[in-house]
Amino acid sequence: MSESPKIDLPQGTLDLLILKSLALEPQHGWAISDRIQQISKDALRVQQGSLYPALHRLERKGWIKAEWGASENNRKAKFYALTRSGRKQLDAQAGAWRALAAAMALLLDAH
Amino acid sequence: MLADLTHRFRALFRREAVERELDEELRLHLEHETGTRLAAGMPREEAARQARLAVGGFDQIKEAHRDARGVRAIESILQDLRYGARTLRHTPLFAVTSVMTLALSTAALATVLTLAHTLFVRRLPVPRAEEVVAVSGTRIRWNPDRVAVRDAERLRTLGPVSYPDYVSFRDRATTVTGLAAHYPTAPLFVSANGNVKEINGAVVSANFFRLLGLEPVSGRFFHDAEDRVPDRDRVAVISSNLWRSWFAASPGAIGSHVRINSVDFTVVGVASSEFVGTTPIPIEIYIPTMMLRVGYRWCDDALAADCAALQMIGRLAPGQTLASAAAELPTVMPEAWRHARAGENSGVAVTDLRGMSEDDNEPRLVAILAGVAILLLAVCCANLAGLSSAQSAARAGEFAVRLSLGAGPGRVVRQLATEWVMLGAAGGMAGVLLARAFTSLLAAAFFAADDEGHPLRYAFGQTPAIGWLTIGAALVAALVISVGPAISAVRRAAPGAATPRFTAPRRWTGAWLLGAQATAAVAMVALAALFAVSAQAMVSGGNYDGSHLALLRLRPRLLKYPPERAQRFQREVVERLAALPSVESVSLVGIGAVLDGGAAAIALPVWTAGQQARARFNEIGPRYFATLQTPIVSGREFDDTDLPRSPHVAIVNETLAARLWPDGRALGATLLVNATPHRIVGIVRDIRLGSRTAPSESWVYTPFWQNTEEIDSRLAIRIGGDPAAMLPALVREVNRVDRDVPISEPMTMPMRMAGLKRPVRIGAAFVGYAAALAVLLTGVGLFGTLSFAVARRTREIGIRMALGAARARIVGAIVRDGLVVVGSGAVAGIAAAVATTRVVRHLLYGSAAADWLYFVGAAALVVLVGLCACVVPARRAAGVEPIVALRCE
Repeated sequence: MSESPKIDLPQGTLDLLILKSLALEPQHGWAISDRIQQISKDALRVQQGSLYPALHRLERKGWIKAEWGASENNRKAKFYALTRSGRKQLDAQAGAWRALAAAMALLLDAH
Repeated sequence: MLADLTHRFRALFRREAVERELDEELRLHLEHETGTRLAAGMPREEAARQARLAVGGFDQIKEAHRDARGVRAIESILQDLRYGARTLRHTPLFAVTSVMTLALSTAALATVLTLAHTLFVRRLPVPRAEEVVAVSGTRIRWNPDRVAVRDAERLRTLGPVSYPDYVSFRDRATTVTGLAAHYPTAPLFVSANGNVKEINGAVVSANFFRLLGLEPVSGRFFHDAEDRVPDRDRVAVISSNLWRSWFAASPGAIGSHVRINSVDFTVVGVASSEFVGTTPIPIEIYIPTMMLRVGYRWCDDALAADCAALQMIGRLAPGQTLASAAAELPTVMPEAWRHARAGENSGVAVTDLRGMSEDDNEPRLVAILAGVAILLLAVCCANLAGLSSAQSAARAGEFAVRLSLGAGPGRVVRQLATEWVMLGAAGGMAGVLLARAFTSLLAAAFFAADDEGHPLRYAFGQTPAIGWLTIGAALVAALVISVGPAISAVRRAAPGAATPRFTAPRRWTGAWLLGAQATAAVAMVALAALFAVSAQAMVSGGNYDGSHLALLRLRPRLLKYPPERAQRFQREVVERLAALPSVESVSLVGIGAVLDGGAAAIALPVWTAGQQARARFNEIGPRYFATLQTPIVSGREFDDTDLPRSPHVAIVNETLAARLWPDGRALGATLLVNATPHRIVGIVRDIRLGSRTAPSESWVYTPFWQNTEEIDSRLAIRIGGDPAAMLPALVREVNRVDRDVPISEPMTMPMRMAGLKRPVRIGAAFVGYAAALAVLLTGVGLFGTLSFAVARRTREIGIRMALGAARARIVGAIVRDGLVVVGSGAVAGIAAAVATTRVVRHLLYGSAAADWLYFVGAAALVVLVGLCACVVPARRAAGVEPIVALRCE
């Protein structure tokens, strides 16, 4: 079994990743973690122990909302969707991250 | 924000649904994980195992999830509550005892708060009551001790004003609007519909009802035109009470005729039952100020400028305050007030209309009651703290288990505190309900009638704020009770702490608390006894005995009898009453009331013109002191030979005799009483009516029959048996002499004293209640603590017995343990009682000589109760069988 290099998620990034992966369409819990894993090419792996508490935290903040629907294989599943304030939050946090990443890159590449 | 709330709400109250959903979600996740691995060609079992590894432990996820719900704290509180309820259900006796103890003590607190609110805080039951103010004249009171002028301002009292003065204020004041005049306590003899009775009426200006925002229940109030011309408009408004009792609430009452002090009036309206007056004496009938001459008989012309009969109330104009009104009103004061003499209005005061208190002693009384209530609550706290620590110690095993299962010490302490908070809430609520019963008892027992027998209405009402305050006090008490014992219990139960079973037998905890309870109990018992003795001393003590006195008031003045006719009538009444069986003697007074009186200017013939002193004064009939059983020190009392034509004579009391004739030659000397020379024929003992702190007063008495101007009188009738039972017969006999003369206030001296010195009786009842509870609690507390100590020391006692200790020694040790604590508490209690007595002596009557007896008696009582509490535990200890005790291990 091939073990790709895994990165521990820095504090606060999980929320942003969840919001981002919900930007396209509503998804259920497993699909969110699967998508994060796929897009990051397995570099980021979400621990289930933190995924579900994070989902509920975001729901409480009103950034995402949950609804019961049918999954691909027709099972009852809880789908999470971005709310209006969640989308705003995503834009704001993404902007902040990009700025931070750029600054980090500048710093690290400096000779 | 809303999302957050609904989310938390759901997490809290739909806990199971939330958990179920989470379960479902996690299972689906696991399926997907397994699915991807199956799709990659992994065998089913291996795929399932890998997936489970990847997902991690369900329970950990769930736990983290629960934390994320943000209701962790509330959830664990709910858990504590459920657990607490279960525990309390298993120890019902403990729960009931604690709740009852808290209820009985917080009820006392709530009762005092209700009393204080009604007496000092509550406003009138009228719209926008906060704007209503009283405007009064102020005057420098006649002062018996001729104190220095700078102190005279202290003696400034509020006073009524004359009708012209009222009109002047009404028309000139701008900060207070709608100023109305009223005389709220007019004794009116009213006959209507076959009823005849002296009732309390009010003489009010036509704008009175408008000012207060009152609406009639039926008919109308006075028109302004009906209050313009003296004696013209004979209209009356009756109270709802009178309407119901005399007219059966019939609409026909409007327009009917009532006779008030022999003048015919027409009823025009019925007032609502909500507002019954500004004083505790409810108003039963209203007449306009222009009819003041009917309602006010103390001036020749009640509407004249020299007759101050009226009180004023008004509303603060918009934006005005008490202070701004108080600043303006002196500027519009009648000119004559600037040249006022002592006893006449010379200033203006604006006061809030708050509370029903009319007794200067009431603030002090309520303060004392509040102190007693707080002390009682403290005693209950101490008692329950002992119970709580015993209970915590008994549950040490349970705590140890919970602690070793991973509960934090804080959590266990909180669990215990939660149980007590539940008990506290229940106790507080029960206390609030109980206080309602207490206040109605208090109202019925002490606030139902005044010293002249008039019915009173205080309408004690418990406000919601008082209810919450009481429950709050119970909760605070519960926390105080529980947290300390809980912490120490948890510390003992913590792993590694020494197991209590193997520690050396220490002095049992709570000894201090028990001692303090005993101290408080002794102080309260002593105080209750002093109050009770004072209440008795007011009826008979201070050189008089009122226990067998009946009182009647004859008022021919209300029928405008001339003095000769009035005196003829009174002479005959006295003779006829004295002839009745079981009447021992009859006498009468002209001024004020029996035992009381007015004041007179006195002087010695040798003094220069204008030099004079003041003394208390009354005009009394023959046999007055025999009737009161006041000892004559020397000389004689008045008899039937002291008539208008015989030489003018006087009797002085010992204080006056000593003051004016230090050489002791008072008897036979001449004294000028109100400028008329009188020869002193007798010296009597001081009648002490005041409290212990009141200074002795100088008294001079002259014969009633030597004043040919006297019209009204009050009779004192000494009865062989029960005076209350004789009252109807006395009234019948007076009616036989003259059917028309109004007899008011047929009552007994004990009844009058009950109304007059209310604070003492309230103090006796309230402190008595607190004292009984405190003694009971001390006994129960000692019993509980000793029983618990014996139970814990069973093994130790067993070993001692096995080693040859005599049973008597074991019993002795237990009893000694108990008595040392209660005894030292009781000794401290005597000191506390002595100190407390000094604080309350303004409310105590009679001699202080026997006080020490009550102090020692109180201590003895508490020690005796303590001894009784020791008996059962001591017998239980003596009954320990060494073999059984050792086998217990």
